[in-house]
Parts: sequence; C-alpha cells; structure tokens
Amino acid sequence: MDFDLTDDQKEIKGVARELLGARSPFAKVREAAESERYDQALWDEIVSLGWPGIAVAEEHGGQGLGAVELAVLLEELGYACAGTPFLGTAVAAAVIDAAGSKAQRGRWLSRLAAGEARAGVGMRELIADGAHANVVVVVEPDGAQLIENPETEPFRAIDATRRFARLRDADEGEPLQGGASERVHAAVAAEVVGVSQRALEMTLAYVKERKQFGVPVGSFQAVSHRCAQMLLHTESARSTAYFAAWAAGADVERLPEAAALAAAAAADGGREVAASAIQAHGGIGFTWEADVHWLYKRAQLDAALLGGGGRHRATLARAAAARAAAPGTAAPRSAAPRTAVPRAAASRAAVPAH
Amino acid sequence: MDLTFNARELAFRDELRAWFAEHDPGEEPLHDEDLHYAWRRDFQRRLAESGWAAVHWPREYGGRGATLTESAIFFEELGRSGAPLPANVLGLLLAGPTIMTWGTPAQKERYLGPILTAEEIWCQGFSEPDAGSDLASLKTRAVREDGGDWVLTGQKVWTSGAQYSKWCMLVARTDPEAPRHKGLTYFLMDMEQDGVQVRPLRQITGEREFNELFIDGARVPDEGVLGGVGNGWKVALTTLMNERAGLAFFLQVRLRQTLDRVIAEAAAEGLLEDPLVADRVGELHLKAEVLRLTAYRGLTAVEKYGQPGPEGSLTKWMWSDTNQQVTQFAAELFGPRALEAGGRWAYEVLRARGNSIEGGTTEVLKNIVAERVLGLPRAR
Repeated sequence: MDFDLTDDQKEIKGVARELLGARSPFAKVREAAESERYDQALWDEIVSLGWPGIAVAEEHGGQGLGAVELAVLLEELGYACAGTPFLGTAVAAAVIDAAGSKAQRGRWLSRLAAGEARAGVGMRELIADGAHANVVVVVEPDGAQLIENPETEPFRAIDATRRFARLRDADEGEPLQGGASERVHAAVAAEVVGVSQRALEMTLAYVKERKQFGVPVGSFQAVSHRCAQMLLHTESARSTAYFAAWAAGADVERLPEAAALAAAAAADGGREVAASAIQAHGGIGFTWEADVHWLYKRAQLDAALLGGGGRHRATLARAAAARAAAPGTAAPRSAAPRTAVPRAAASRAAVPAH
Repeated sequence: MDLTFNARELAFRDELRAWFAEHDPGEEPLHDEDLHYAWRRDFQRRLAESGWAAVHWPREYGGRGATLTESAIFFEELGRSGAPLPANVLGLLLAGPTIMTWGTPAQKERYLGPILTAEEIWCQGFSEPDAGSDLASLKTRAVREDGGDWVLTGQKVWTSGAQYSKWCMLVARTDPEAPRHKGLTYFLMDMEQDGVQVRPLRQITGEREFNELFIDGARVPDEGVLGGVGNGWKVALTTLMNERAGLAFFLQVRLRQTLDRVIAEAAAEGLLEDPLVADRVGELHLKAEVLRLTAYRGLTAVEKYGQPGPEGSLTKWMWSDTNQQVTQFAAELFGPRALEAGGRWAYEVLRARGNSIEGGTTEVLKNIVAERVLGLPRAR
C-alpha cells in the first residue's frame, strides 16, 4: 500500500510547477484569455517537452508513461489555469492509446504526441479545445466515440482561458472501447484538483494579508473555517482523482466507480472552492482585475465537461446499492491476487449484528 | 502509487480473517450496558489469548509489531467481522503506547500486561468542567506529601468507562506558579480508593458511557508519576497523538456498514427508485469513499515521512460529518419507525450527535487545520 506519488511523478510535478510558474503567470493567462487565443509560445514549449504524449506508448512517439503522470500534469496546468490546448490533445491521445483501435492509434497517436495534430474532448455541445481539432473524443451516455475531422463551430464559454466548440451536425464517429468516457472524466477531475489548490492558495495569501479591524481577516473563524472547508474539498477531490488515475492504469475493473467518485467530487468541490475564493476575497474577488474569476470559470466549465455531479452520483448510487444488496453472498474480493485499497468491508460482509 | 496490499499485508489479513471466522463474538447484548461491557471485555480476552489484542504493540510487550497499514487492516477487519471494539480500547490505544514511550522499566512491567488481557481497564482523566478544548487550563491539583504520596484534588469529566476502570491516566497541576503548559504532571491513578468518586453522566441516548470523576484526597505513590514531574504536557501530547490513529479505520468501516444498512432497508422498501433518494445515496457513498481513501493517504504519509500530510487533520471531521448525515438520512427515509424510542436507528441518530464533539470538536479541528495546516493566524 503506497498512496503517494512516486519520486519520478513528484519530479514531473515539480518541473511542471516551476515551468508554468515562470511561463504562465496570471498576466499571461489573462493576455491569452482576453485575446481569445492560446499562448502559442507556451504550447510550443509544452510540445517540445513531450507532454502531449505523456501517456502515449513509446512506439507511437510518446513518453510511455501512464494515467497518473497525465493526471499530475493536468493538475499543474489546472493550477496555472494555463491557456493551452493540452487537455484536449493529451487526454484524447491517452484515450486513443488505451481505448482506440489499432488503426485509430496508428492514425493519431504519433501526430498528437508530436503536436502535429490537435484533439478535443467533451460532449457534442461542449468540446474542450474543439475549435481547430483534427479529431475529437465525444462522451455520450452509452459510451464514447472518436470523430475524425469533425465539423465544429466555436462556442464562447465564460471560461475564456480555454477554446471550446460544439459539433455542428450529427456526425457519427467510431465507437471507442470501454473505459474511454471514464478516462476523460478522471482527467478533467485531475485538472480540477489543481484549480482548487490554486484557488485555496490565492485565498490563503489574501486573507493573511488583508486587514480589517486591525487584524488579518484570516484570523476570523468565519473566514478561517471557510478556508478549512476549501482544503477539505480540495483533498477530497485529490484522493478520488488519484484513485481514478491509478485505477485507469492498474485496475481498470474499478475504473468506472473510481472515475464516478472523482467526477462527483470534482464537479461540485471545484465550484465550491472557487466560489469560496471569490467570497473570501470580498469585493475585490468580484472584479475582473482579481484573478480568482479565471479559476471560478474554469471550475464551472470543468463541471460542465464532467456532465455535472448528479449523473455521477447516480452511477455511485447504483454501485452502492449493488454492494449493499450482496451481503455475505459474493466471495470477498480479497481472494483476488491483487487487492486494491480494501473495499469497505461491509460491502461483502454480513450486515453486523447491530 | 500502489493501492494494493503487499504479500505480507495480505497474509496478515487472511490470518486475521480466518481467526475472526472461527471466533464468533456472539449476539450483541442490547439494552443492558453492563452486559454489553462484559461482552466486549470477554471478546478482548479472546483476542489477547491469540495475540490479536494489540497488533501495533511491539512484540516484547505482547503485540505483533504491526506496521501502520497492518494496524489499519486489523481495525478494518475487526469492524467488518461484527466484533466489538475491545473493552480496554483506551488502555490499548492510549495508555499502553504512552507508558511504552515514557514509562520506567518497572512501570512497563507492571501495567502493560493487564491492559492487553482487559484484566485492568483504563480511563482517561484529561478533560475538566472548565478545561475541554483548552486542556492546558486544567485545575486538578496534585501536592506531594513530604517524600511520600501525591495527593490529588479536583474534578474530571467525560471520563468514558470510568465505572469499569482500575486505572486512570490523569493530568494534574503540580506547580501552580509555572506557566500554563509547564507545571503539569501525568499520573497513573488507582481508581479503587475512597478519594475517587465516579458519577455516571446520562447522555442523550439514555446510556451512561461517560462519567464525572470527583477526586478528593486521592493518593498516587511517586511510582505513579509518568514521564517526570512537570513534564505532563509533553506526556499528554503522546496520548493525544495516539488518540486519532488506528481507530479511524474501525470507524470508517462501521460508517460503511451503517450506510449499507440504510441502503439495504431503503431498497427493501422500494425507495431507491426515487431519484432524490438515489442522489443522496450517491452523495453519501462518495463521502464514505472519500473518507476511506483519504485515511489511506494519511497512512502512507505517516509511514513514508513520519508525519501526516494536510489530509491527516481532515479524516475525523469527515467521519463525524458523514456519520451524522448517514444516520439523519435514515431518519428521513424511514420516518417514525426510525424515531421510535429504543429502536436501532433512533439510537444511531442520537449517538451520532456526539461524533462532532468527542475526540476534538469539529470547530477545534477546523481551527487546527486553519492554523497548523493552512498557516492562518491564530483564530479569534
């Protein structure tokens, strides 16, 4: 049992934090958002580092790493709120790698990994990075599909740090294998972890600095307890997002539930944290000048990309009902050679005496 | 990142499961607290006979030298087996480790064995009527008679299990002139003496889990000082640091069982078809899983770095919140039958109100998170 990033994964995280801190401070994010363009210089650098192919097999020109490394990068790009097409491109590449056909992998992976093609992910009416995408992964209720050379039209969302589009007609693509939708949801949830972390840190810095009644407002419990709640949401999103990323690579049988946990935690938690950030900043937080609104808008659109928390809670309710309905019948999962974080016990045990 | 148990942990769990399969705790006696306590005490004795009473204790003291993960596995399996929490839980989790850290060889020799077997039960004399969250303001006094015993006077409160206890781990003020955190001393006090009166407090469930202790001239020999005179705050911190470990996994499993029971009963009544009900089920399932996953993250942090990360301060808060929501959900779903006096759900609903107070109120936990994890200025 080791529920922590490896040293290599921490290294990736640290490098990303440092690079994005230097190249994509909020001044850059704002510039890209207000001009409704991506930060091309940043994207070129990201491509040169091989990040779009982080979770693509080496035979296709990728880094040959996995869903956890992808999650780590998404978290950092979310933290920076950077204006790049990373989400669409890297996540579509990871999804095609894991759930695409041989032909699809052959057509797209090396081009996506090399930054020669761009991809979008989302749903028909909301595709992140879909505006100039050569290929899109579309999540639908009964599975995901890959639509090549899609006909899209731009969709101007409140999150101006990201270019969205929607499908213009009822283009039908080729179905992707199982797990594709879950991988998209797990990835978006990972980004939300970074968005939440940044919103929390900005808020902490502000409430330590801002004084009223002669003291920092962060010394008032109404404020500090709000911050504690922000941490709780952020860490809840992190626990579930890392679990989902791990399952995507190591235990795909558990991915559907893990992704639903991550998506449900992220959809509501991210919005809550970013909204709290605005509230804790007071009037300043409501201005265009303060940067917290970029995070709030990103959190809103990420929740929309996840399809909202409700559908994932419905998935979870079905999973929970299935467990509760099978007390003492199913053999404990424990018998399996590889056992994940033990499922809460009772799931399989007899309902206890009391 | 590897969220699987390794071979050693799996072997540990399988051995434990096999033991629980062979040792049925029997029917839980309801509605009689003394019988209930005797049941728990008997089950601990059986655990001790097989060396399972305190897996986290070093082998030299009768434990198994279990790792933190193994200890978590123990509490999860204990919870899932339907067995009760050992009667001497405060001795096993708090007094024992504190004595191991601070005790003299003679103290370890004297006290540790009977803790394991539940032969001698322990209670915790920290809180006072005017010293709850602000423990350092405690007023119980201890004065040493010329070269002889310490004589203690004061009052303690919320003392769980005092009515069954032989010993009390107690903090008293030995130097009133010293600053608040100095001048405290940690005592191992014999409960069986005239100077100690136990008065049960009836709680909102009607039970008497905890008590008031009236201490009037109670005597503790100098050998009953733990960790040195004037060192009580540090020794008490050892106890408090142990307070939230291990147990979290037992509570987490019990929470899951409670939720499963709500869901099973709701399904039986056809209530899960209602999308509003299903939404709540999904939400509570999420919270229960977040708690479990976050507890495991905390465990890894302690195992790898020797201290919990930011998530470590959150699990008790998450647990109490979620347990209150799960039990309240039962009351909403099942209506009057869940509120019938003496009924199981009614009990759970009421008992859960204590969750956000016992072992650190949620408000204090939020202060701790704000100050120690988030680095915010001391709260006002």
